Amino acid sequence: MTDMNEQNKNSQAPVDQHIQNLLNSSIDAEINVIEQHELDRLLENSENVRNLNKDLRAVTSLLDGLPELEPPGYLQSAIESQVRLPVQSDIDEKRSFVGGWLNTNWLRTGFALAAAVVVTVGIYQMGSAPLTSRDAASMAGTVAKGTSLDQRGILLDVFRLDTDKLNGLVELRNKNDLFTLDVQLNSVEPSEMVLSFAGHGFEIEAVSGMQETDGAVSVIDGSVHLAGIGEQHFTLSLKRTSATGNDTPLELGFFANNKLIQKAELNISQD
Amino acid sequence: MHKDKDAALVNDCKHGDRRAMSQLVDQYQRPVFNAAYRILGNMDDAADATQTVFLKVFENIGKYNQEFKFFSWVYRIAINESLNQVKKRRHQQPLDDSQTSPWQDPEEKLDSERLCKRVQDALMLLNDDYRTVVVLKHISGCSYEQIGEILQLPEKTVKSRLYSARQLLRKTLISIEIETPGQ
Repeated sequence: MTDMNEQNKNSQAPVDQHIQNLLNSSIDAEINVIEQHELDRLLENSENVRNLNKDLRAVTSLLDGLPELEPPGYLQSAIESQVRLPVQSDIDEKRSFVGGWLNTNWLRTGFALAAAVVVTVGIYQMGSAPLTSRDAASMAGTVAKGTSLDQRGILLDVFRLDTDKLNGLVELRNKNDLFTLDVQLNSVEPSEMVLSFAGHGFEIEAVSGMQETDGAVSVIDGSVHLAGIGEQHFTLSLKRTSATGNDTPLELGFFANNKLIQKAELNISQD
Repeated sequence: MHKDKDAALVNDCKHGDRRAMSQLVDQYQRPVFNAAYRILGNMDDAADATQTVFLKVFENIGKYNQEFKFFSWVYRIAINESLNQVKKRRHQQPLDDSQTSPWQDPEEKLDSERLCKRVQDALMLLNDDYRTVVVLKHISGCSYEQIGEILQLPEKTVKSRLYSARQLLRKTLISIEIETPGQ
């Protein structure tokens, strides 16, 4: 910049568009032989053009000297966790989303090692008595009663969440008196899904989950709260223990950073 | 900027291949982030913009016309998204002091890091059109033709803007240095 200062003292006369283009093309190495000859002659004969050339090259040198910055380490995984790829059909889309999610290394490891360190929410065998909401509320983390997840029954309803902050898929299945909720969420910020089942005559049979980072499950006043960040997978089994429970849809609320971003309902009857 | 490889990866993405998506993100996140940073002048905003760019890219991957270069399309989205954020920010908050008065400490040595900061500050004083061509040329390393394709401008307009932008930058850098006491 010292050079530029010195040259600035000698005020530069404006140059025409053609000379500007020649200087630009030369600096940016996009000049042909004929143009270069012409510019060489101009540089030889005009102090003004020489000064201008030096100034522009000095600025260019400063700009080219700007360092390339390293993106934040979380960026790639944050992007990938949010991207939903379009596919040809709704069924394919669902399969792709789930498949892609299941293919991630951490999750494969998580499944393989089950109760290893990466699984932040353990699975605990409970006694033979049905688990009540009060039982569940008193436990930190996840509770389970050894429910088989292989025979989850017929698909009653599906809800797909697709927002900037949180996306995922919730499936509700039914077999006999057991309702199984399969919840897959991807979030960048701390997120929470709240399922309200008050008045439906349900007891929590089992909850299991896996998350990238610390997650939490809690039951408060007839609703279950599944919280976490990143890729999360919860399976919640509800057992219908009362014939007087109503058949109105289950209500879901999705929160990101403690702000409600989406409400949804899941039908619990096959009608 | 490998057209054939990009085309193959894009095609795989259109069929739901997440590994292909991952490769494209890996390939373009750095240049997109750097371009966004030089336009926005803030790391957090650049990271946000980069995320939004890729969400838009893959949300619209089915509409992408492979007659055009993928990187041009990505850069166009990146530039538009960055400029949108600049506009939003202008409505939401005043410029930082560092942007209006970059030379706060006359005693500081003009070391390499400081020099880069000052060049970035000067860059932020350019208008959006000029800053965009400078970023595409000097940060993204695009040719006139590529800049023209990305911004959908004739090459002569690209050259003209680049010349004016460099002249303005030169004047800004000089005036700032002259005004700095002790220089």
